[in-house]
Amino acid sequence: MAEQATETVTATIDGREITVAKGTRIIEAAEAAGIGIAHYCYHPGLSAPAMCRMCLVEVEGAPKLQPACVTPVAEGSVIRTEADKPREARQGVLEFYLQNHPLDCPICDKSGECKLQDYTYAEGRKRGRSLEPKRVLGQDDFGGNIVYDGDRCIMCTRCVRFMREVAQDDLLGVVQRGSRSVIDTFFEEGLDGSPFAGNIIDICPVGALLSTDFHHKARVWDLDRTPSICASCSQGCNISVDTRDNVVQRLRPRANSAVNSYWMCDYGRTNYEWMNPAARLERPHVRDRRSEAVAAGSGAASGAAEVGWEAAIIALVDRLSAVDNSASILAVGSPFHSNEDNALLLRLARRVGGSVHAVFRSPRAENEDVLPGFPTLVRRRDLAANVRGLELLGFERVGDDEARGGLDGADAAVVLVLGDPLADRDAGFADDAELFVYLGTVPSQAGARADFQLPVTSHAEEDGTFTNALGRVQRFWQALRGPSLARPAWQVLGVTLAGLGAGAAPATAADAFLSLGEENGAFAGLSYAGLGMRGSQAQGAEPVAAGAGAGAEAP
Amino acid sequence: MAYPYRHERETLVIAKHFGDAEARPLAGYRERGGYQALEKALSMTPEEIVDVMKASGLRGRGGAGFPTGVKWSFMPKEKKGPHYLVVNADESEPGAFKDRELLRWTPHQLIEGCLIGAYAMRVEHVYVYSRGEFFEPAQIVGRAIAEAYEAGIVGERVLGSGPRIDMTQHLGAGAYICGEETGLMNSLEGRRGQPRIKPPFPAAVGVFGAPTTINNVETLCAVPHIIANGADWYRQWGTEKSPGTKLFNVSGHVKRRGNYELPLGFPLRDLIYDVCGGIEGDRSLKAVIPGGSSVPMLSADEIDIPMDYESVAAAGTMLGTASVIVMDETTDIVKATRRMVEFYAHESCGQCTPCREGTTWMAKIMRRIENGAGRPEDIQTLLDLGKNMTGTTICVLSDSTAAPVNSSIAKFREEYDAKLAMAAKTVGTPDSTAATSALAH
Amino acid sequence: MAERRDWAGERGDFARLSEAEVRGESYVGERPLDGGVPGSACSYPYMLEEKQPEAPLFEGAYQARFEKIMSRYPERGGALLPVLNLAQEVRGWLSPESMDRVAELLELSPMYVRGVATFYTMYNKRPVGRHLIQVCTNVCCNICGADDVMAAFVEATGAEPGEISGDGLFTVIEAECLGACGFPTAVQINSRYYENVGAADVPSILDDLRARDARAVPGWKPDIPLHEVAKDPATARLPDAVEAGRGERRAPRDGGPK
Repeated sequence: MAEQATETVTATIDGREITVAKGTRIIEAAEAAGIGIAHYCYHPGLSAPAMCRMCLVEVEGAPKLQPACVTPVAEGSVIRTEADKPREARQGVLEFYLQNHPLDCPICDKSGECKLQDYTYAEGRKRGRSLEPKRVLGQDDFGGNIVYDGDRCIMCTRCVRFMREVAQDDLLGVVQRGSRSVIDTFFEEGLDGSPFAGNIIDICPVGALLSTDFHHKARVWDLDRTPSICASCSQGCNISVDTRDNVVQRLRPRANSAVNSYWMCDYGRTNYEWMNPAARLERPHVRDRRSEAVAAGSGAASGAAEVGWEAAIIALVDRLSAVDNSASILAVGSPFHSNEDNALLLRLARRVGGSVHAVFRSPRAENEDVLPGFPTLVRRRDLAANVRGLELLGFERVGDDEARGGLDGADAAVVLVLGDPLADRDAGFADDAELFVYLGTVPSQAGARADFQLPVTSHAEEDGTFTNALGRVQRFWQALRGPSLARPAWQVLGVTLAGLGAGAAPATAADAFLSLGEENGAFAGLSYAGLGMRGSQAQGAEPVAAGAGAGAEAP
Repeated sequence: MAYPYRHERETLVIAKHFGDAEARPLAGYRERGGYQALEKALSMTPEEIVDVMKASGLRGRGGAGFPTGVKWSFMPKEKKGPHYLVVNADESEPGAFKDRELLRWTPHQLIEGCLIGAYAMRVEHVYVYSRGEFFEPAQIVGRAIAEAYEAGIVGERVLGSGPRIDMTQHLGAGAYICGEETGLMNSLEGRRGQPRIKPPFPAAVGVFGAPTTINNVETLCAVPHIIANGADWYRQWGTEKSPGTKLFNVSGHVKRRGNYELPLGFPLRDLIYDVCGGIEGDRSLKAVIPGGSSVPMLSADEIDIPMDYESVAAAGTMLGTASVIVMDETTDIVKATRRMVEFYAHESCGQCTPCREGTTWMAKIMRRIENGAGRPEDIQTLLDLGKNMTGTTICVLSDSTAAPVNSSIAKFREEYDAKLAMAAKTVGTPDSTAATSALAH
Repeated sequence: MAERRDWAGERGDFARLSEAEVRGESYVGERPLDGGVPGSACSYPYMLEEKQPEAPLFEGAYQARFEKIMSRYPERGGALLPVLNLAQEVRGWLSPESMDRVAELLELSPMYVRGVATFYTMYNKRPVGRHLIQVCTNVCCNICGADDVMAAFVEATGAEPGEISGDGLFTVIEAECLGACGFPTAVQINSRYYENVGAADVPSILDDLRARDARAVPGWKPDIPLHEVAKDPATARLPDAVEAGRGERRAPRDGGPK
C-alpha cells in the first residue's frame, strides 16, 4: 500500500477522539466514528446546502450551533451532538416540520423508512402544540412513475439537487419562496423521459416523492431486503431486492462508489417483473428422443417423464458417458446466469466432447444512458448482467440485438443450453443432435423437446457472481425461493461433473467460485468472501468504456 | 436641513444636497465640489485609502455596523481575476427610507464613493443593486452613470488617468432577503436570492466567484467626504466607537417624518420630540423601534438613550439602519407586531426549516390572538418558537422575526393579555364566530 | 372633495419644488423607449404595449436593450433578472412561453427560470390589469392607516385583491415595505410611487389613471387592445409618464390635470 501523505486533524465528538483527513466534514467524521448525526438535506452524493438545520452541533468556542454537513473538523475542536443545545435545536426543527407535515403515516408508503418518523420517534415532542390548520397542497403527478405529495414535502431539495447535479437534467426546481415553496417541474413538463429520475424517490427522506410502481404494494417493514446486482444491463449496479411473500416488490440502489455510487437507472429499477414469473420449469423431465422416434413409428405413446433429481442425474451421466469424446459440443450460456453457472456449463462441455463451441446471445439496446454527474454509471447497451463474465470465460457472442439467431447450422452432436429460452427456435431445434440438455427457468418450446429438461433457479433465487462491463466481479445473494425442484445450475452441473468423475461437486456457490479461479486466470486470486458487498476487479479485465459497448460493433 | 423637513440641529454631510435639484446633474455636482475627492484618491495608493477609511472609523450603514475600512482590507491585494464592488441599494427593511433619498438626490455622490472604493480595492466593475421597485431612483442613477461615462469619469480611464472601472445598475425584482449580502450576490448572478453559507466570505468568493465587497449606499456616500477631509475631520462627530454622522429616518406617528442627518450618539428623545416635532396630535408615546423592524422595540420610558451602536445595544436593541419607527398610544401593538411577522413570513426565502416554518407559524398565532381567538399558552409557544428561530439559520431573517415578538411580549404583555381575555370571553358564546373563523384561515 | 396627492409634494419642503425637481427629469419627462441610458443594464417593469402572443419576445428597441443587458455581465445567467424584467415590460406578465424563451436566450433550463421568476414578487405570474396597484400595508404605513387605503382601492376598483377589475384596468395587491416609510401610505402604481396617500385620495387617483390612458395613445379607449392603435411604439408614450413638462412648476391642483 502506498503511503498516503494526507494531513490529518484530531478532534473529539461526544467525548470520542477521532482523527480524520483535513477538510473532512463533521457529519462524515462522526459517521466514520459510528456517531449518526440526524440530517435531511445532506446526502453524501449531493452538494450540501445546510438548510434543513437538523444537523446542528455544538462546537466549543463557536458562538452558534454549526451545521455538521458543511463545517470541516478543526484541529483540537470539541464537538457535541448529544448536548442540550443541539438536542433542543433538533427538537425545534422537528416541531417546525410537524406543524405542516400531515400525520398520515398509516397510509404513507414511506412509513417505516421515513427519517421524519424516525427522528420524531427518537427525540420529538410527545404532543404537537400547533392549533393552526395544516397547509394543504395535494398531489402532483410528475410522470416517470413519480408522484409528488406537497403536503409531506419538507423542502430538503435533495430531489432538485439530484436532478441538477447528478442527472444534470434540470427538470425540477423550487417554485415560490418561504412557506409557499413547492417542488415542481416546468409547468406540465414532468419528468418523463429522464432516465435516472427514479432516484429522487429513494433520496426523499419523507414520503413526498412516491413511486407509482410501488404505491401501496407493501409496508416496508414487511419487506425482506437482499443485496443483489441489477441484471438489466451489464453495468451491474449494486441493488437491494426488496421482496415480500417471495415476490419482488421493488429494486433500490445500494451504494458502491466503484460502480453506481448511490444511484441506478429507471430501466433497471422497474425491470423486475420477470423475476416473478408465473410459468416456471419446476421438475426435471427426461426423455429419449431416439427411442421415441421408434415408438412414434409404432404408434406408442411418447413424451417426457417427470423424474426426481437423482434419477435425472444418473440418466444424464449415463447419456453423457456414452458421448464420443471427439464429438462436437454446442454450449449455449446465458448472460443472465452467474459466472459459476456458465463456467460449470463450459467445464461440462469440455469434459464431454472434443470440440466445444461456446456461445451466448444477449439483447442489446440501440444506445446507452450515461449519468452525467457520475459518468461511471451507464445504462449499457448490453441489457444483461453477465456479458463480460461470459466473454472472460470464453463464450462467443452470437445472434442479433434481440438475442435471436446465431444458432443456425448447429450440427453439434451434443447441445447444452443454459438459461437461454430459445424463443426464436421451434420445437425441432436440436432434433439432429444426439443429445440435447436444456437447463432453464421458464418453459420453452424448443427446450420441451430436450432429452433432459432441467429446472434451474434464476439469479434472484441463488447466490453467485456476475462480472460487469467494468470487469468487476460482484456477488449477489439469494432473494427468492426457487420453485419446487429448481436448483442452481452450478449445483446441477457440478453434481453431473462429479458423476463423470471430475472430482467432488461444489457444495456452495463459494466452492463453485473457487473452482472458477483455478481454471480461468481472470478469476485467479479472488476469493468469494473477499468480494464482499462491493466486488473486486477481475484480472486483466479492462473496463469497457462507455460508448464502446461490449463485443463487436455491428457494421 | 434634511428632507423633506430640515432641522437646525442637523449636521449635513451626505444629505447636504437633498432638495437641491441643481446638485443632481454632473455639472451641478461638480460646481459643489464633486469629484474632487476622487481626484485626491487617485493620487493616493489603494492602501493609503484603506488606512484613511480605517482611521475614520466609518461603520457600515446597512445595519450590521461593521467597520468599512476593515471590510475593504479583506479584499485580496494580489489580483488573480476580477474584483467586484456591489452597492447594496436593496433598501427594504420596514422603516428604512434613507437610501432612496440618497439615490435620487445625490447620485454622483454615490458614484464618486463607488469609484474611490473600487480604486482602493482594485475593482474593475461596480454593480449598483437597487431594489426593483425603485424605478424612480434607478432612472436618476442610470442617467448619472451615463453622464459619468460621457464625461470620462467612469469607464476606460477613471478621470482620464485612473484604472478602468465600469458601473452597471442592476434592478432586483422584489425580495427583501436580497438585501442580505449573500442573497444579493445570488440575485445578481440571476439565481433565487437565497443567502449563502459563510464561509466562504464574499471577499474570498463573492459574486461570479470573484472577490467582492458589498457596501450600503449610505456608507459609500460618506466615503468622498472622508477622503476629501480626512479621518480626523469625520471623527469630530459621533462617539469614539461610532464616529461620524448618520441618516436617521423617522416614520410613524411623529409630526415631521423624514430623514435627518445627525451625529451618532444623538439623543433619541430629542430626535422624536425636537427634530421630528413630537408625536402627531400631541398624543403620548407608546413604543419606538430604533433601527428598523428587525430590532427589538423600546417602550416609552426607554427612549433616553444616545443613538450610537454601543448605547442602543446596551439598551437591549440595535441601531440597525437607524430607521426609527414611532408608535403612539393609539397603536395596537399586537397588530403592529403581527404585521411585522407577516412581513418576515412573506419574505423568508424558504431555505432553512426554522425560518420557513417558524415565521409562518408565528404569523398564524399572532393573527389568531389579534382576532380574539388566542389561548393563554400561545404566549409561551411564541417565545419557544422565537428561541428555536434564533441563531439556528443561515442568515438572521428568522432571528429578526423573533425580535419584535419577544420584545413586544416582554414590554407590552398587557396588550396581549387583553386580547386573550377577549378570546376567553367569546369562547362558547354565539359571538365566537370571529374566533372560529380565525382558526379556519 | 379630497385633494389628490400623488406625490410627496405637499409635505414639508417638497411643496416649493416641482415634481420633476423631486423625481428627476428623466423620470417625469417623456421616457426614452430604448429603456434609458448607456451604462445602465436595468429595465423597468411595466407594460408598454400589448403584443400578440406569437410575436417575438424581443424585437427592435427591445432586442437592442436585451443585447445591452447581456454585455454587462461576465456570465450569461447574471442577466436573468433584468431580462425577465424586460420580458415583463413587453408582455405585462411572465407567461410560461416567455419564461421558456428567456431560458433559451440565456442558455438556462426553463425550470431554472421558473424557479427564479417565482422567487421574486415583482414578476407577475399571471396577467394583471393595465395598472398594477401595490399598496404598502407594512408596519410604518399600517400604523398610519394603510389598511384603509387598501380597502379603498379594493372598493373603488371593484376587484378583489390580486384579481383584474371588470374593465381590465386595475389589479390591486398588498405590497410589503416599499422603502418610502416616511410618506405613508406609500402606493406603487406600475413603476410610479404615490406617497402620502389617504383613503379619500383613492377615487381621484383612479380617475387620473384613466385620463392618462386616454392621453397616452391618441384614439385609445379602454376596451380597445393597445396594440390595435399603437402599431408603432415610437408614437406611444408610456402610460404613467407625467406630462406636467420638464422642470416646470406644476400648476395648482383643481381636481387633476385636464
